Amino acid sequence: MKGTMGKVLRVDLTTGDIRQEDIPDEVYENYLSGVGLGAHYLYKHIPAGADPMGPENILGIVSGVLTNTGSLVTGRWMAVCKSPLTGGWGDANCGGTLAPAIKQCGVDAIFFTGISPKPVYLYMDSAGAELRDAAHVWGKDAVEAEEILQQECKTKKTPKVAVIGQAGENKSLISGIVNDAGRISARSGVGAVMGSKRLKAVVLQGSGKTEIADGDGMKAYSKEVATKVKNANLPKFFKGFLFPYLGLLMSKQKKVSAMDGMLAAMINKKYGTCVVNTMGMTNGDCPVKNWQGSVVDFKKKQYKKLNPDNVLARETRKYHCSSCVIGCGGICDISDIKGGKYAHTHKPEYETCSSFGCLSLNDDLDAIFYINEMLNRAGMDTISAGNTVAFAIECFENGILTEADTGGIRLKWGDADAIIALLEKMITREGIGDVLADGVKVASQRIGKNTEQFAVHVGGQEPGMHNPKLDPLLGIHFSDPTPGRHTIGGAIYYNSMHLWKEVSWAPEVTKYPKAEEYIPSDREALKSIAGTAYKMLTDSAGGCFFAMILGVDHWNLFKMLNMATGWDLSADEYMKIGTRIQTVRQLFNIKHGVDPRDSIPTGRVKGDPPLTGGALKGITLDIEEMVRLTWKNFGWNENTGVPEDKLINDLQLNELIE
Amino acid sequence: MRIRVYAASFCSFENIDRDGYMVLPDGAVLDDVYKRLQVPWLYRRIVFATVNYKKVSLKTRLQDGDVVSFLSALGGG
Ligand code: SF4
Repeated sequence: MKGTMGKVLRVDLTTGDIRQEDIPDEVYENYLSGVGLGAHYLYKHIPAGADPMGPENILGIVSGVLTNTGSLVTGRWMAVCKSPLTGGWGDANCGGTLAPAIKQCGVDAIFFTGISPKPVYLYMDSAGAELRDAAHVWGKDAVEAEEILQQECKTKKTPKVAVIGQAGENKSLISGIVNDAGRISARSGVGAVMGSKRLKAVVLQGSGKTEIADGDGMKAYSKEVATKVKNANLPKFFKGFLFPYLGLLMSKQKKVSAMDGMLAAMINKKYGTCVVNTMGMTNGDCPVKNWQGSVVDFKKKQYKKLNPDNVLARETRKYHCSSCVIGCGGICDISDIKGGKYAHTHKPEYETCSSFGCLSLNDDLDAIFYINEMLNRAGMDTISAGNTVAFAIECFENGILTEADTGGIRLKWGDADAIIALLEKMITREGIGDVLADGVKVASQRIGKNTEQFAVHVGGQEPGMHNPKLDPLLGIHFSDPTPGRHTIGGAIYYNSMHLWKEVSWAPEVTKYPKAEEYIPSDREALKSIAGTAYKMLTDSAGGCFFAMILGVDHWNLFKMLNMATGWDLSADEYMKIGTRIQTVRQLFNIKHGVDPRDSIPTGRVKGDPPLTGGALKGITLDIEEMVRLTWKNFGWNENTGVPEDKLINDLQLNELIE
Repeated sequence: MRIRVYAASFCSFENIDRDGYMVLPDGAVLDDVYKRLQVPWLYRRIVFATVNYKKVSLKTRLQDGDVVSFLSALGGG
């Protein structure tokens, strides 16, 4: 089928058997590629009850339909598996340079099953694939291992590498898979699954092209997108100190409206995501002090040290993932930090700045840069690790953990050295590090003593650094089959996507009272469903979330999918595919015994107890009712979250689930 | 002439049609859009609109098909 390679590679690491499998067109027609293909493949091939760390689990590295097609901002890849962190569907999205390399090797995805008897890596080029000994890179961090493998496998072109660091080798349930020197597909414990299979890396060296139906059309459309993005620039007077005021303005707004998504590109081009470092303090988006505090606990004199201009001060060049015209990333010089242990790092995302900033009351930005590189190299998820550190500090504050438990580390809010010392132990699983290396849920089970009250997670996974009390739709999205993921959607994103212009059932937004977002309603539920279905399409196309929120006026996925595939589907027909993918992800969880009700945010995340200070003071979300209405409108049982027979028939899923 | 307006929540939407367009007489300038949107005086000081994604003065003459956007706070991570 046009836009795809029509096949996948399946590698049995136990036997060493490697074979290509043709994928019927019908599968692409129903699921596209990327996360959709992954959901279909894993649902079909992972038996119920399979141990996520056992040979039956499948780890997929998937590209998207639009990747390598001349379209723009479509170079994202995803890792998919049964998550050892949640016990259900696991996926993690990543930029960098790997995605096109998968298709250039002639396949849409690589699926690994079994467990290798010794550490190996997969080498693949256009001629074929083989497993090679990885003893010499086992134990190395992700950046070192990538460099070594690139050197030894280099032919004309430098190969692209996806690799685990020590955290993945040590099967930390909060570890991810790294490419391009520190871009990480971090969530769901995908690195632990790779480590459990003794698969150190995937090295790709292809040069194949992807045929599409309307190459000229795609070229012209890409030019249009590129011109708009190129012309969209923040005016010079716009400086980092303004963001807290913008946040304040946002928190005072009684009404919200549809927005121009291109403005997000303006901000992302200059700063990347770190604008939320300070804007999120005044509007309440940033979780503070293990989700129990607010700007009252992390005051202006502290948060202003994380001013986005201070982050940019270290940026030596901009960084773009493959095919991206926005370029929210950057490479930063950190050679003066901690004796120059690391020369440079990818610009820390907001998520990292927040999870090691306000969440643990740390205002040492240099330490955040250092932690960013340390965890990228170890291949550990900064969101989960930051939540876990904050959890440990709270345990220490309450006398549940002591210096005897921590190996002499005095854990204290805001103590960057103690945080770094603790992370070093988590990476190597030394002492207390072994207790904490699998995230807050497992840690609280290991420690006991009622510490689950400090363990902030959604369905086993630590939530992203966005407070749903600012944007309740985000709270609904936290109950995704990959719980706690913040990059599915939210009202602020929905309002910039303008889906209602293309999708007949997507609620139109002009201007409405902000208060409406807090009242459970079918309308809010439909917004959530439309956002989710469109995100599933984006993840199946290889698109970036930041392109998605440009909105259909500026980056129209439906149009690009038709140009790539040669289909003439309407937006509604595509959204049905998105709904199908989301439903199969949910069905995967049901098949594996995960109760969807366990993925509904509780406790501090929903505002129970409510915050006592800051912009979101006193708010407790009726998240159960919001999720109930979302499930009902999806065609899932409103009380249990199990997809109803009618929807299963409509989406023609009977055969798959039988 | 018709211009595409992405207004902010502090604006009045009365003069914007369902598709997001505003009809203005030829020769209209950005300030006319501000007036029709009833942008409060305070906001005029602290927010800005772009025309075709460029910062321009309030006296800038608009052309048919121009895009006027207000900068809104959007975040992600
Ligand atoms: S917008 Fe940022 S994260 Fe997205 S593809 Fe571009 S550089 Fe990568």
